[in-house]
Amino acid sequence: MTRLNPESPQAGSNLQDDSRLRLRLAAYLQTQTGRAWTLGPFTRYAVGFSWITFGFTACEEGAEEHGLILRLGPPYGLFAPYSAQPQFAALKVLEGSAVPAPRAYWWSDDAAILGAPFFVSERVAGTAPVPWGTGEGSGFEDGYRRRIGAQFVSALAALHRQEWHGQGFDDTVTAGNAAKIQLDFWEQARERWALRPYPMLHRALRWLRRNLPQAPRVSLVHGDYRLGNFLEQDGRITAILDWELVHPGDPHEDLGWAFLPQYAMGSGLICRLVSRDEFIAQYQRESGIAVNEQSLHFYRVFALVKLALTHIAAVRCFEDGRFNDMRMPAMGTQIAPVLRQIEKMLP
Amino acid sequence: MNNSLPRLIDGMIATLRNEVIPHVDGEFARGQAYGLIYMLNSLRLRADWSPAFVGEQLAAQRELAMMLQDLGVEASLLPEAGSADGIDMRALEACRDDNDRRVCALLDWIDDQRSTLAPQRAAAIDEALRRYMQRQLKWELSTSAKPMFAEISSGSE
Repeated sequence: MTRLNPESPQAGSNLQDDSRLRLRLAAYLQTQTGRAWTLGPFTRYAVGFSWITFGFTACEEGAEEHGLILRLGPPYGLFAPYSAQPQFAALKVLEGSAVPAPRAYWWSDDAAILGAPFFVSERVAGTAPVPWGTGEGSGFEDGYRRRIGAQFVSALAALHRQEWHGQGFDDTVTAGNAAKIQLDFWEQARERWALRPYPMLHRALRWLRRNLPQAPRVSLVHGDYRLGNFLEQDGRITAILDWELVHPGDPHEDLGWAFLPQYAMGSGLICRLVSRDEFIAQYQRESGIAVNEQSLHFYRVFALVKLALTHIAAVRCFEDGRFNDMRMPAMGTQIAPVLRQIEKMLP
Repeated sequence: MNNSLPRLIDGMIATLRNEVIPHVDGEFARGQAYGLIYMLNSLRLRADWSPAFVGEQLAAQRELAMMLQDLGVEASLLPEAGSADGIDMRALEACRDDNDRRVCALLDWIDDQRSTLAPQRAAAIDEALRRYMQRQLKWELSTSAKPMFAEISSGSE
């Protein structure tokens, strides 16, 4: 796979033109495999603010047709500039593991090929369950909730047990510096994104820096592990999706994110699926990692900080005119509520 | 709001033009959508954020400055006076943001100086800063509309 020329002059242009993308991807696949490919019509999925996702059928000369996914990281996306390498590496590492994930086939960061970094993966059957609304109850039938909840925890435990060294990830991350590396990353993001100062966010970042925990081990961290980022079919999780923030780090980081009140939506359950105690008990049993309450608290505050910064990034993207998507200024209205939640969690 | 009003209006117009109108079948409904664009363009020429909104934020900063002055914090570190009497919203917002930058610097200062300050004085400065941040967040929340994320995501009310 290539990793060239991410600053190509045509980077980002024509990413909405799916007929052009089809032609260029078919040509790319031919160079990769030495055989001709026929690609069906592209369907764009209306998910996320970062990577553009297309589904399509593909038929290699003389072979059976199968479903594929193309994901492109546009230069104007929320967390741009992007590299497809970490997602591809994560999916490769997880092939054949207990973590349900799509098989990854090709990737490149060379924007000259399709206009942006991209990767191609298997299209997995299933839908992403997201019960909207707030209040008591999960919004799911109880038996279904428990079955999916147990698989949701199991997949995370398996991810955190997974060996990842030597697969293209940052090998310098240690139990001692994992939290600092992530905090540095997000603090630098604040410098790039924030259009105005937010004193409560500043206070939270200072508190986090004074309370950096030691990781129990360095695991692959999904970075956005939650309800809405997995596919389910017939009561079975078929794929964990959206690996764009994957990195080596403290496994508590994924717990902190999944435990965000935003994903409980008033149900009192982690991601509307499983109680906190059940989650931790099963996770500890299956991962072999003892959950440290102080670390979990740190990463719950950190999760809120990351969420506030994601909203701040959305405001910035919209203000810069990179998107006209009205979800972005709407996300901006959530900065104050998230900062209020942070305030309640700080001593 | 965190986005500027002109940019919000431009974004709303672009969304109506590119995402809504092409999917509206009825002639009358499309006409109404163009009416919205016309009125949004008219608002863009005359409307601005309310000075009362920024005025409350500036008032909270003035009160913080007085409290910290009483606690002996050096004048150069304090938020500066600004009021909603001005008519230039950009200047008012710039004053608010500059003062919040000073509040961030004060948060750094109190952490750095804690060991040299009398514990009671440090605690009082902490409390003043905390109350200020709470007041600002409470004000933002009380002036925000009820969220509609379920409707935005599901496309129905």
